[in-house]
Amino acid sequence: MTERRFVLLMLLPAVLFLGFMVAYPVALLVYNSFFDVKLIDPASRVWVGLANYAEVLTSKRILESAIRTLKYSAFALFFELVFGFGAALLFSAIAKHSHWHRTIFALPLMISPIVAGLLWRFLLVGNIGILNYGLAALGVISDPGAIKWLSDTDIVIYSVAVADIWLTTSFVALVSYAGLMNIPKDLFEAARIDGASAIKRFWYVTLPMMRPVLAVVVIVRGIDALKTFDLIWIQTQGGPRQASEVLSMNIYQRMVRYGDLGQASASATLFLAFMIALAGLAYWKIWRTDRG
Amino acid sequence: MADRAPQDAGKVVINAVALLLVLSYALPYVYLVSTALKPAVDVQQIPPSFFPNRVSFENFGTVIGTAGLPQAFMNSAIVAILTTLLSLVIAVPAAYVSALYRRRITILFLLFALITRMVPAVSLGVPLFQILKSLGLLDTTIGLVLAHTSTAVPLALLLMAAFFEGMPKELEEAARIDGCSRFGAFWRIMLPLAPGGLAVTALFSFIASWNEFLFALLLTSQNSKTAPIFIAEFNSVYGLAWGPMTAAAVLYSLPVILVTLVLQRQIVGGLTFGAVKG
Repeated sequence: MTERRFVLLMLLPAVLFLGFMVAYPVALLVYNSFFDVKLIDPASRVWVGLANYAEVLTSKRILESAIRTLKYSAFALFFELVFGFGAALLFSAIAKHSHWHRTIFALPLMISPIVAGLLWRFLLVGNIGILNYGLAALGVISDPGAIKWLSDTDIVIYSVAVADIWLTTSFVALVSYAGLMNIPKDLFEAARIDGASAIKRFWYVTLPMMRPVLAVVVIVRGIDALKTFDLIWIQTQGGPRQASEVLSMNIYQRMVRYGDLGQASASATLFLAFMIALAGLAYWKIWRTDRG
Repeated sequence: MADRAPQDAGKVVINAVALLLVLSYALPYVYLVSTALKPAVDVQQIPPSFFPNRVSFENFGTVIGTAGLPQAFMNSAIVAILTTLLSLVIAVPAAYVSALYRRRITILFLLFALITRMVPAVSLGVPLFQILKSLGLLDTTIGLVLAHTSTAVPLALLLMAAFFEGMPKELEEAARIDGCSRFGAFWRIMLPLAPGGLAVTALFSFIASWNEFLFALLLTSQNSKTAPIFIAEFNSVYGLAWGPMTAAAVLYSLPVILVTLVLQRQIVGGLTFGAVKG
């Protein structure tokens, strides 16, 4: 068998599968987005051109859910980075003694978002949420009913992000720790000999060396956060009054609850295009800085 | 290593802070387990207590006795096992040639796999619903396995490609000189040397499927409903039945935590790989 045929044969199952289960559905998604088509009867459809897109782009509810998705992602990502990188620095300061610390930190790594969401809903829920009792006992809030985490429409989108932060800080911490351990020790040594203080060593050695790792963490986690569905769904189902409805959820509701396949497809197509553009931009940036 | 100056007091403080941080990080999950172990009447007492006054398995009994729950766990396990097998069968050969036979087509292929990882589940789920419905595969195990495999394959591909890249290409060449066909070199020489990579990839595919929610919510209803859907519905049907819900969540997540504990090194390695590669 020639090399060429061997390569093609080995690729074939994956190409066929991804073609049928990813490329074809995506094509169908884009195709559907140009029709007025209902979920119950996808066979009868009316060509509407860009009307679905026009409606999506002018819908207040969709716009709001898109903004909410960005707020949620920025909030979650910021705290995951601060806590995760902070923990990684702490672990690397006690490098050899941090084995157990890191083990406990690793435990939530593979937990389902459903469990994390359920758990935090239980911690935050009105009346029996233990977090508020804890805060009240510490004197941070006046009484256990003071903060309505999941029913106050002003803060609910940030409250539901707490579960995300809890769940993924460990990922950020362990990946950052691996990155920190990969920085050559003699770099610090040289900086120390040159008289650089601990803060300067952090600023001029640690941070620049960690840049690629942190950039990857931001991309991977950022994309995950923008796609979030289950974690919020289990906590609030998007409520109260859509105050925690993110884009994935909006598309899901449009399709399942309102049965509007055409419009759901149009917003899902825009969402997909946005994600690919974002990822492409991010990869391009990293690729350039890696070589620049 | 000259950094070990006599800063013992500082080290003790850092150690203590780190320990405190780690323990408070574990607290929420400990509370979940501790709630599940409370007698049913104590679960919703006001004010709540952190530890059970008396350990009871009442909640676990209720959950296991709930019609449909054992079946949902069974469905989850079957779907996850089939997803793992299918995605390995599909992804491993492709990952092998992508890593060892670098040419334009394999690079394009890897790029395609990377892009598919960006596709939001909901964007895939909307058309998949229609496709599976027309094939009569809605609410079947096979339908859900296909959907889960569509996200598991790109992940498995990138993990295995990174793994094969770490293997010496000379080995394959030596096998060929000794008379192996290309496929023989892959099947009889290279693959048996990669049990670690296969195990990590299998584990990731399994857990990704075990944890998956949105596809299961969209594509199943009665027959092939999985555990996370069951747990989520528990929530709405029984109102605030927190006792059984926490018990179900513990049953659902504890196996994953134990696996993480045992295979921590490999999992962190795989995640770092995943993070760096894709």
